[in-house]
Amino acid sequence: MALVSLRGVSVEFPIYSGSSRSLKKVLLHATTQGNIAKDAHDRVAVLALSDIDLDIRHGDRLALVGANGAGKSTLLKVLAGIYEPSRGRVHAEGRVSALLTASVGLNPEATGRENIVMRGMYMDIHPRQIRARINEIGDFTELGYHLDMPVRTYSAGMVIQLCFAVTTAFPPEILLMDEWLAAGDAGFLIKARKRMEEIVAGTSILVLASHTMPLLEEWCNRAILLDQGRIIAAGSVADITRQYQESLRRGQG
Amino acid sequence: MWSALAWQDIKLRYRGSMLGPFWLTISTALLVLGMGVIYAHLFHTRTAVYMPYLMLGLIMWNLIGWMFNDACQTFLAAESVIQQVPIPFSIHAYRVVCRNFIILAHSLVIVPVVLYIFSVQVGWSLIEIIPAMLILAVDGAWVSLLLGMICARFRDVPPIISSLLQMAFFLTPVIWPIDALGIYRPLAEFNPIFAAIDVVRAPLLGVPPVPTSWPVLLAATLIGGGVTFFAFARFRARIAYWV
Repeated sequence: MALVSLRGVSVEFPIYSGSSRSLKKVLLHATTQGNIAKDAHDRVAVLALSDIDLDIRHGDRLALVGANGAGKSTLLKVLAGIYEPSRGRVHAEGRVSALLTASVGLNPEATGRENIVMRGMYMDIHPRQIRARINEIGDFTELGYHLDMPVRTYSAGMVIQLCFAVTTAFPPEILLMDEWLAAGDAGFLIKARKRMEEIVAGTSILVLASHTMPLLEEWCNRAILLDQGRIIAAGSVADITRQYQESLRRGQG
Repeated sequence: MWSALAWQDIKLRYRGSMLGPFWLTISTALLVLGMGVIYAHLFHTRTAVYMPYLMLGLIMWNLIGWMFNDACQTFLAAESVIQQVPIPFSIHAYRVVCRNFIILAHSLVIVPVVLYIFSVQVGWSLIEIIPAMLILAVDGAWVSLLLGMICARFRDVPPIISSLLQMAFFLTPVIWPIDALGIYRPLAEFNPIFAAIDVVRAPLLGVPPVPTSWPVLLAATLIGGGVTFFAFARFRARIAYWV
């Protein structure tokens, strides 16, 4: 049974600007007590998530709502196990798969087909299993002969079609999605939507971050509203989207 | 998984040029041929003795040098993967090691040829290179992890490493014999890079390694591995934020 729980999770982002990325400057700073290289300490920590408590259980379709920079993507990365939180605990059971950004660790020099296998391996799927289904995955991408060309020759939309096809070919128990499906041509979008609906129906847990309220209302059954790294409200999707839109109006007015 | 990724890297290198990593083999062979004649004269040794020594020295140096440079990119090069899928960080390190050993294997093909031409007598001591290679792989792993972490955090380290490597090349008996050092001999004896070269080169030349080589190499492995273990345990969680 898939399950995710977060207890008091905070994420601080170190922002290394300019000279704090330099070992020479940092050493110089340490040895001269900051007389020479004052700028070495311009390390700013941004609190991206602050004290998040969250339980996601089997059957939950959770919508993450919030303005840009509210912490939606960071929260998804914590759930995916990419970022270890600075404080707090994350506990997840079940195979997690994340559709976060389009580039997804593709190797631009390798062909589409090779990237399908590699991407599958990153998702912990045995190459044999991937090869068994590579034609089916290839067909889904609609890329045709492009599949045997290096990915660097692809357009942005083609890259997304490729990534989408691989990631969704092996349905996970916990699916995390950031909104990026907007690319791809109209024909592919319809197909992608159908595939998504199948997957969403099959996965145990879905967490979706999006600004498209109708999409959230259609696919999700719970929602949380994030603002500056905090959960400021939780409830039904309808309630939360209303709150969010009201806060947007207040912000404008 | 890491070996599959390493093979993929090699395959892509072949795509750039038909010979792929064999270019490195060829350039090493040419270098050995040219230098072998002149330096044998400079060091007053016979070409037949010097040439195999030089060849093995350069091949091992290539492995070490490339490994160090590559190690700097362990996590930086894998950035888009690290940002996207949670796979163990050690896999990136193993991939670097595996890739460099495959490249080494390309160079090794000229070894039997040269040894045969100069009729070097190799005996049963040859099996010593098996544990030697295993230890070098372990060293490669911790170097990749440690340098990978440092370079992810401090972006000016890779050029520093390259200059240090250049210095190390001149200070280490790669192309010149250790006996040329005279009273400065301990300088090489306690140099882990020399130890790493010696434990592979000596058995292939049919001579025993310098007595200090194995202890020094093992000590470097233990110390480096230990430091890396603690550094990794302490900073592992930060790597995703650094890249």
